[in-house]
Order: sequence, then C-alpha cells, then structure tokens
Amino acid sequence: MILNSLNLLLSILIATCLVILQETMSNMFWLISVDMPVTFGVFVSTYFSNLLLMNGGGAIPIVVLIAVGFLIAYTVAKILLIWINVSKANAYALAGAAAIMAIVLLMPLAFYNLDVLAGGRSILGKTILVFFGLVSGYYFGKSLEKQRV
Amino acid sequence: MRKRILISIGLIFSIHLIASEESYAYETLAEDLSHPWGLAVIDEKNIIFTELSGNLRIIENGKLNPEPLSGVPEVLFAGQGGLSGIILDPSFNDNKRIYIAFSSPDAGKKTNTLEVVSATLNSGSISNVKTIFKASPSRRTAAHYGARMAFLDDGTLLITSGDGFNYREQAQYLDNHYGKIIRINTDGSIPQDNPFLSNTDALPEIWSYGHRNLQGITVVDGVVYENEHGPMGGDELNIAEPAKNYGWPAITYGKDYSGATISPFTEKEGMEQPIKYWVPSIAPSGMAYYDDTLFPNWTDSLLISALVPGDVRRLKVENSKITEEEILFSDLGRIRDVASSPDGTIILATDGPNGKLIRVIKK
Repeated sequence: MILNSLNLLLSILIATCLVILQETMSNMFWLISVDMPVTFGVFVSTYFSNLLLMNGGGAIPIVVLIAVGFLIAYTVAKILLIWINVSKANAYALAGAAAIMAIVLLMPLAFYNLDVLAGGRSILGKTILVFFGLVSGYYFGKSLEKQRV
Repeated sequence: MRKRILISIGLIFSIHLIASEESYAYETLAEDLSHPWGLAVIDEKNIIFTELSGNLRIIENGKLNPEPLSGVPEVLFAGQGGLSGIILDPSFNDNKRIYIAFSSPDAGKKTNTLEVVSATLNSGSISNVKTIFKASPSRRTAAHYGARMAFLDDGTLLITSGDGFNYREQAQYLDNHYGKIIRINTDGSIPQDNPFLSNTDALPEIWSYGHRNLQGITVVDGVVYENEHGPMGGDELNIAEPAKNYGWPAITYGKDYSGATISPFTEKEGMEQPIKYWVPSIAPSGMAYYDDTLFPNWTDSLLISALVPGDVRRLKVENSKITEEEILFSDLGRIRDVASSPDGTIILATDGPNGKLIRVIKK
C-alpha cells in the first residue's frame, strides 16, 4: 500500500517534471528562433523557476491538476483491468496518456479555446504532452507489475 | 546621514504617490447595463457607449435612451469578445460618423476576428455601416482583441489589435495583425506613409508591433500613449511610435497564468521599454487624457481605468517619465473605461453584467 502510494506519487512527479520541461522547451526554442540570448544556464534556471512557479505561483498548481487527472484515470484503469486482459504497464500507460489528453483538450473548452498550458497549443505540443503522460503511466504500471513478481 | 536618507525617501514618495487634493462626488448616469465597454462623449449631455453583449446605447440630454440603437452589425459575444471600442470622427459635428470595433464571427466557421466599421449616427439607429478593417488571420479564441481606437492629428485612425492569447508569438511577425497597432484612413484605405508599406513581407496597415492586449490608447499633442494588459504582472504604459517593436512576448515583466516563464528577458536592443509597468497587474482597461480645469490638480494627466482591484490611475508624464501617480475612484469596483467630458467632469464605465456609467463631478 505504502509502496503503491509512493509509486503513484512518483508517477505524478515524473509527469509534472516532464510537462514543465515541455513548457520550458516550447518557450525557449521560440525565443532562440527570434535571436534571444538563451544559453544553457538560462534554460536550466528557467526550468527550475518553472518547477517552482508552475506549482505555486500560477492560477492552478500543475501538480494538483495532473494528480487529479491521474487519480481518475488510474481508478478507471484499475476497474477495467478486472475484465480486460492487458498488462498493467500498458493499461496504466494508456490511462496516463488519457489523463494528460483530457487536461490539454478539456481545459481550453472551459476557457473559450484558450490554451493555458502554452506548450500544448500546437498539435505537436499536445502530442508530446500526451506521450509524457504515457511514460508516467507506464512507470506506474511497471512498478505495480514488479511488486507482484 | 540617516535623516538625509529619510528625507530622500520622503521626497521620492511625494513625487510618485500623491493623495488626492480634489474633492469629488459621483453621479450615476445609467445603471443595470450589460457589460459597458467603450465610451464616446459627444458633449456634456450626450454620450454614446457600447455594451459588450452587442448593444449600442446612448445617453441623450442626460437620460439613457431605454432602446439600444438599431443597425449594429452581428457581434460574437463570448469570452472577452463583443461590441467593444467606439470613437467619434474628428468632424463628428458635421458628418455624424462614428467608428466601432467588435469581435465578428466568421460565417459558417468556428473562427472570429476583430472588425472595425464606420457608421452614421441617426436618431435611434446607425446607418451607412461600412467595414473599414478586419484583422487577419481569424482566430479560434475569444480573447485579447485590443479593440480601442484613437485619431492621429493627421486624421488617420489607430486601431489596437490584440494578440488573441493563443497566438502571442505572432506579435513579433509582420505578416499578421496579432499584437499590432493598425493605422488606416477612415475609409479603410492605407495611408501612403505607413511605416511598413515598402516591406513586401509585412501587412501594410501595421504601424507598430510586439504588443499584447492593448485596451487603452490616446493621442496627446501628437504623442501616442497606449496601455496594455500584461500576462500575470507586466501591464505596460508605452509611448507608441511608428515601426517600433514593443517586445511582446520576447521581453516581458510578467509570467504566464500557469506560472511559467514566458521569457526570462525584460529588455533587448531594438525593442522598446514601457514608460511604466505594473507588477502585480492592475489590468489597465481604458485611457483618457484630462486637460480640463474643473479638477485643477488633475489637469494634463493621463487617466487609466483599471479592472484589478478596480480604480483609475492618474499619471502625469513629463519627458517620457512619470512624475506623478495617484489612485482614484477605488470604491467603484472594476472600471472598464474612462473619458473626459467637455464640462470638465469625468465619465467612468464600471465593468460587469450590472455595469454603470458614472459622472465624477466637483463636490
């Protein structure tokens, strides 16, 4: 139980760090394209600043948003696993991807098509974010499988 | 030494934050208005104004006409969109022409855009409605339209066109109207001295760029002042000039609503600095210049209406520097627009579904 909770928390933290990495990269790559002096140091300090501010200085802490999404998606996956015979790693990977997809697609519907996560404005950005959800979910499912072994 | 420091601090505050020495009172001109947005004062007893929900209203001889004016084009009333800015023609007394900015839906599509029309004001209606500007390309979002206007001394019209929220990077490119100040003639044609006319990669209407959501603009002795909403922090007051780049979103003093850093940079060569910025945001929504003497301490001041927490900022600008700043009318809630009347009073529009038009009079 404690191990499950720890793995769930780690899965949420992995997704949060990756989503924030994508947000940072999206902004920094554009700044580079318009000849702004983005160095490796600027990139790293901005990433760490985003880790702090996107979890405590914005409208909604991103970690909370992801946690809610993952809790719902993982619960649904756990129920479905009773009837569907797929590996936990794959099931939770899909659940993680679905959670992030729901966040990036549903949030704009609530805000007149405004993408609050700037990194998710383009189709490529949305795809990367969903892939990061998949990775985080896969980690969670794999950790559950390891426990069983 | 300590005393000298204290005196210096005292002097600084005496310059920048001045307690109001004017006594004033409020007079409600109209209430229960549906999101009043833009004001144009015809004379001391007649005011025409927009409601974001799509109504064009008029106060005639000091009384609100209960019926909205007819003939207004279809608007998209969603998010921040709707019937927005309004301005009188410089020769309004002769030609009765007005200009209205609004978000217009694209027929059969899920997109919309900022549109400006000219029209003739009649009794109870507007007529001869002609589109003189449509921002390109259209947007899927219903936010950040800008939609304020001002006339330059040569009779050309400046229109503020916001960045559409999702399209902020486009403010740095000249092939679109996001995050720009537009300059056109009143018939919609392009002035032949527009700054990017010879640039084949640029849209010819563009006058300045690198803006976010500009909701206040006024021209004082040929100087163009504009205020714009920053993201989370970083609202700006700029002196706008042709061909200049105001930096958004490559440089900014604000953060994204998610808390993310939009840009870690606040300055770059070739990009203009604001003459004032606000962190945290005040959400500057409208601007007027007060040059009357009814409130002599406020003469020759910029008045900037603000939505957060809701007040009017009075600023005195000398040589591109703020020499006085005062917070006024902070007991009215969110203020959407401000205008000065020929009788020296000040007209305010409060924001929201139960908005009011209020006249500030001498007590």
